[in-house]
Amino acid sequence: MMREALLHPLRFAGDHRFTRAQASNYLEDELDAHSRERVEHHAHACPPCMRLLASLRRTVAALRTLRDGPSSSLPGVSESVLARLRDEPARDTGRDTGYAGG
Amino acid sequence: MYADRLHAVVRRLVDDDHDAEEVIQETFLRAWRAIDKFNGDSQFFTWLYRIGVNEASRRTARNRKRGPVVRLDDQVDPADDRPGPAQSVQHGDLRRVLEQAVRDLKPDYRAPLVLRDVEGLSTTQAADILGIGEAAFKSRLHRARLEVRSAIREYLPEDDHP
Ligand SMILES: [Zn+2]
Repeated sequence: MMREALLHPLRFAGDHRFTRAQASNYLEDELDAHSRERVEHHAHACPPCMRLLASLRRTVAALRTLRDGPSSSLPGVSESVLARLRDEPARDTGRDTGYAGG
Repeated sequence: MYADRLHAVVRRLVDDDHDAEEVIQETFLRAWRAIDKFNGDSQFFTWLYRIGVNEASRRTARNRKRGPVVRLDDQVDPADDRPGPAQSVQHGDLRRVLEQAVRDLKPDYRAPLVLRDVEGLSTTQAADILGIGEAAFKSRLHRARLEVRSAIREYLPEDDHP
């Protein structure tokens, strides 16, 4: 498994750093073919990097589930915003209708 | 719906519901005052989020200066009741630890992660909202993911296949 590391230690170390730095880009399929191959080739020879890719993928998947979770609602914000707007100095006439014509 | 999503983002960037509400109010007020500068939805959406994120970071910076915020309701005690990797992990546990891991990120790393990974915005859109280049955005996002991964690692099943 670590044969690669013994045969070409410098290249292995470089690929290791590259894989750890590019793991997110790899998972998002944002690497060019060469870089992608470099990551895959290295990960197959380096168990820690294989585990990093797997756990990072699961981390991102878990984060996606937070979006639909219970989020506290916003009671009364629109009312308070409207109240503050009523206290604003008068706006230029015509400005309110300028949105559509912008 | 803009307002709900914006609130979800802001709530994750500030310390509590009260701060979130004030930040949202301020954001909508500023949006209202400048509404006639906009004629496109996506431009407005980005701009609204940018205000919200900036207000949120100003708010948390101000709170940091005043001292630590004590949150009695949802602290995670690291030494106490965490199940070991061998135990079956309830979904609620992962969620709780995940939420805490996101809160523990520094603001510079938290915002990219919330916009991209939680809210699912594109890299381009999220970087635009934060006013940073895509390369810087990706590097912060990656750092944030690595930190969250470390925090929740024992809650993830072991598997060597990416
Ligand atoms: Zn490696």
